[in-house]
Amino acid sequence: MRAPILAAALAIGLAAPAAAETIYVTNQGSSDLSIIDGDSLIEAARVPVPGNPAGLAVAPALGAVFVVSPETRVLRRLALNGGAITGEAVLDGLPMGVAVDAARGRILVTDWAGGRILVLDAATLAVTGSLATGAVPAGVALSPDGRFVVSADRDADQLSVFDAETFAPLHRIPTGHHPWAVAFAPDGRVLSADVLADSLTVADPATGRILGHVATGARPYGIAFAGTRGFVTNQYGDSVTVFDAATLRVEATVPVGEYPEGIDVSSDGRRVYVANWMSNTLGVIDAQSLEPLGEVATGDGPRAFGRFVAP
Amino acid sequence: MRLIRFLSIMLLAVLPTLALAHGPTRQKVTLGTDLAAAPAEVWAAIGDFQDMGWHPAIFATTGAGGNTVDATRVLTLGAEGGPVINEILYKYDAAKMSYSYRITEVDVAVLPVTNYSSTITVTARDGGGAHVEWRGAFYRGFPNNDPPEALNDDAAIAAVSGVYQAGLDALTARFGAGQ
Repeated sequence: MRAPILAAALAIGLAAPAAAETIYVTNQGSSDLSIIDGDSLIEAARVPVPGNPAGLAVAPALGAVFVVSPETRVLRRLALNGGAITGEAVLDGLPMGVAVDAARGRILVTDWAGGRILVLDAATLAVTGSLATGAVPAGVALSPDGRFVVSADRDADQLSVFDAETFAPLHRIPTGHHPWAVAFAPDGRVLSADVLADSLTVADPATGRILGHVATGARPYGIAFAGTRGFVTNQYGDSVTVFDAATLRVEATVPVGEYPEGIDVSSDGRRVYVANWMSNTLGVIDAQSLEPLGEVATGDGPRAFGRFVAP
Repeated sequence: MRLIRFLSIMLLAVLPTLALAHGPTRQKVTLGTDLAAAPAEVWAAIGDFQDMGWHPAIFATTGAGGNTVDATRVLTLGAEGGPVINEILYKYDAAKMSYSYRITEVDVAVLPVTNYSSTITVTARDGGGAHVEWRGAFYRGFPNNDPPEALNDDAAIAAVSGVYQAGLDALTARFGAGQ
């Protein structure tokens, strides 16, 4: 009895190359969220999200995706299943990037205008704290081990590192000109995409030491990791720079759509998803062969600034 | 009145230093026109980064670096001594009849945008003639929320659209509209 079921399950598994997952893309121009099925690569739904949403963060453990609309200063929580809005909070300043500390039930939102990270309760969306960063913090990320929160402070050309538990400020790490996105490598190193320097800064969040740089294409905007590789969108290059995560050596430059911005990987690490802002598409790349696997139409101006793939 | 004047002076004093800062939502404009001429003929007229003379708003183009990446040009608008726009070339593909450039410096009183980049491309139309597509990506002139009217998203879109339409209209007048 069990063998046929197993065989059937395997057959289904082989027919669907990626694990069942859902991709969420903020469309800033059309003020909505594309919800894309990872198996079929079909846009299953497009949910209105007023206020030109850009930043987002999926939180599978909370069954939610958090979306920031900077023009109206609103953070929203949407259900992962179906995209229903389950909460919203109007914030001060100019909120942009968002990360989720699901284990501690906290949402972290950068405030461009206030030079800070706002801390919100993930359940009530009440503001519970504020961390002082450098000027114009954009990207924010939580380390994989949950120890560090880091913001990329665009106009201060630095990363701000905080203790994720106590919020004690730990380090200010100088970056190249205008760091925008910040991401952690699987081994815990932290990287910023330094937009006007055409490079990445790689640092140790524990010591604050700079460990190296990666030369990218023109205007690097987003960073993601799959397996042993790092991937960076080059907004003016219409390309993705692929580098070895250990040696930081550039391996390839892959053409994508126009003005690529947000980038994330499938939960099985086999696919890379890229939001092509000008083309209004989500591009899909094979993380191993680096061949294009397809393109999905989105709303206008997809940015997907943050983590946007939910298993 | 006095406060408004003071604020506008402050604004003008502050804005040049914010050339690389920008608002939260990037805008895009894509305009195109069909022309009754061979694509190569149209490209010959508009494909030189160092000569923007085909556009009616441009009084003079001076620059360095020809059509290689990182070439620069200074566009003088209107008349001698008119306002200028500094630009740099970041992609050039003669085979694809396309080039991309960005503005490195412009007063938002001249063109109310920041972080402006643009691509102009000539393609062949099915059945003959050429299509010119001009597209731009940019932020509004005011870098934060609650922009003044002259520096909001609508003002930026209207200004860029006006520039593109004037250029495309001049090409239509020169080469004839595609049928």
